[in-house]
Amino acid sequence: MESVISVKNLSKNFGATRAVKNLSFTVYKGEIFGIIGPNGAGKTTTLEILEGISVPSGGEVEVLGLVPSKQLRELNKKIGVQFQATSIQKNMKVKEALELFSSFYEGPTQKDYLIDLLGLSEKMSVKFDDLSGGWKQRVTLALATLHEPEILFLDEPSMGLDPSARREMWSLIRLLRDRGSTIVVTTHYMEEAEQLCDRVAMIYSGQLKALNTPHELLNEGAADCLAFTSAGLSREYLKSLPGVERVENNLDEFKVYCDDQQTTAYHIFAHCQEKGILLADFKFEKGSLDDLFVQYLEKEKIG
Amino acid sequence: MNAIVKLASLETKMFFRDRLSMFWTFLFPVVMIWLFGSMFVGDNMSQKAFAEYFVPSWIGVNIVTTSFFTLGTVLTNYRETGVLRRYQSTPLQPWKILAAHTFQGTVIFAISALLLMIFGMLLYDLTLPAYIGSTLLSLLISILAFFPFALFLTSLAKNAQSAAAISSLFLNLMLFLSGATFPLEMMPSVLQYAAKILPLYYVIQLLRGTWTEAPITEYGFETAVLIGIAIVSVVLAVRFFRWSGK
Repeated sequence: MESVISVKNLSKNFGATRAVKNLSFTVYKGEIFGIIGPNGAGKTTTLEILEGISVPSGGEVEVLGLVPSKQLRELNKKIGVQFQATSIQKNMKVKEALELFSSFYEGPTQKDYLIDLLGLSEKMSVKFDDLSGGWKQRVTLALATLHEPEILFLDEPSMGLDPSARREMWSLIRLLRDRGSTIVVTTHYMEEAEQLCDRVAMIYSGQLKALNTPHELLNEGAADCLAFTSAGLSREYLKSLPGVERVENNLDEFKVYCDDQQTTAYHIFAHCQEKGILLADFKFEKGSLDDLFVQYLEKEKIG
Repeated sequence: MNAIVKLASLETKMFFRDRLSMFWTFLFPVVMIWLFGSMFVGDNMSQKAFAEYFVPSWIGVNIVTTSFFTLGTVLTNYRETGVLRRYQSTPLQPWKILAAHTFQGTVIFAISALLLMIFGMLLYDLTLPAYIGSTLLSLLISILAFFPFALFLTSLAKNAQSAAAISSLFLNLMLFLSGATFPLEMMPSVLQYAAKILPLYYVIQLLRGTWTEAPITEYGFETAVLIGIAIVSVVLAVRFFRWSGK
């Protein structure tokens, strides 16, 4: 597979704070690559270094064969960026914004195709400030993709969107990938990473913790869990069972994370049967990236 | 080239879209002239003498207010709200942004200068500049000296508040010390020398001079000073252009 981004031992310091530590990864052409992690993990910093806006403190970065911080103008012709917290002029109409940004690029743009694809035609003469969050995201996505960029960087593209707008955003992103762009996306919604990304890099406190397909990450790391309600069981007892990694509870609602669901379930059932304890709503649940996330964070705390 | 034209025309269009700020921008200088007229016109100063003294100075002051308050404030706001950041990841170069805003400022300034002149002609017997070509050239040089200077200074500000503070300081200093509002002859000689450090002093000398006395060729020193300032501030504005507040 052809690689479009390669990062080797990247680090970035802001004064004494080490925002990114020794990060290495490769992004291949045509994939949707997710960077996930909690707020303040270094996702945006990493993205800004790839976009050439921020200069790395150490390590090597190559994007489309260019060094971003040194060949920014060349790079900007080939990449598209949707920022997390930027806007365009409040008084600018959608039509004007599209025309303005089209004029920045040499050669024809896919403006008309995007207007059609994103359903912008009805909003063309609305001022940017008067648009709802979802429409603003669509407009900035259009501005980022006018020139059919080889790589599209999206920083938290679905932040502030309602669930249906978020799903629409995902299908748009997939469509853009199918049209030939490689996509790098940051998110702290685990569901987004699971549904959208081909591969996911998990970052906590500036370090790479895991990198794989969402499916493999779950198989490797995320413990499956048993969920049930019972008034007669204690956390301590459940923790003492073989193979149990972690117990979460909210009053009498329990979640027991374990290596082997069947064995642990057998122990719980046997114990309850013997003692005459009532069990209700017993479910076998598959681990999600959300759980994996919490698992890593807790390990971090203990470590 | 296309990008500059698009950006300049859009920015100008958007200024006129904000009716309220447009109203105040154009009203302020006219009100000031009217206020000063009520103060100075009388036995010692004829209407025409007043107008020939104050209208060119207020046109000069207008270059300062436009450069700091219209251009500087807009770009500081764009820097804060991420508009410039958004441009940073496109092939658009900083000088094109500065040029587009300079064009926008020139249009706004031209309108308020015209309003001032018409107001002066209607109320105070002002005549058209005697050396109109020289006056226009002086205005152009003054704009090139001031606009980039203000864009550079306000880009040093961390946020809109400190940009406003920088702008107010410069405006007030120049208002009172450059002979725009009070005749320099009224001031102690120390302040008369201090005035000559301020760029607005030269703008006003040029405008007043070409309006009534002589063509721009007679004001070689003033012109040279302003061209010098123009070159330095263009270089500074482009070199120290900042995309974001960080």
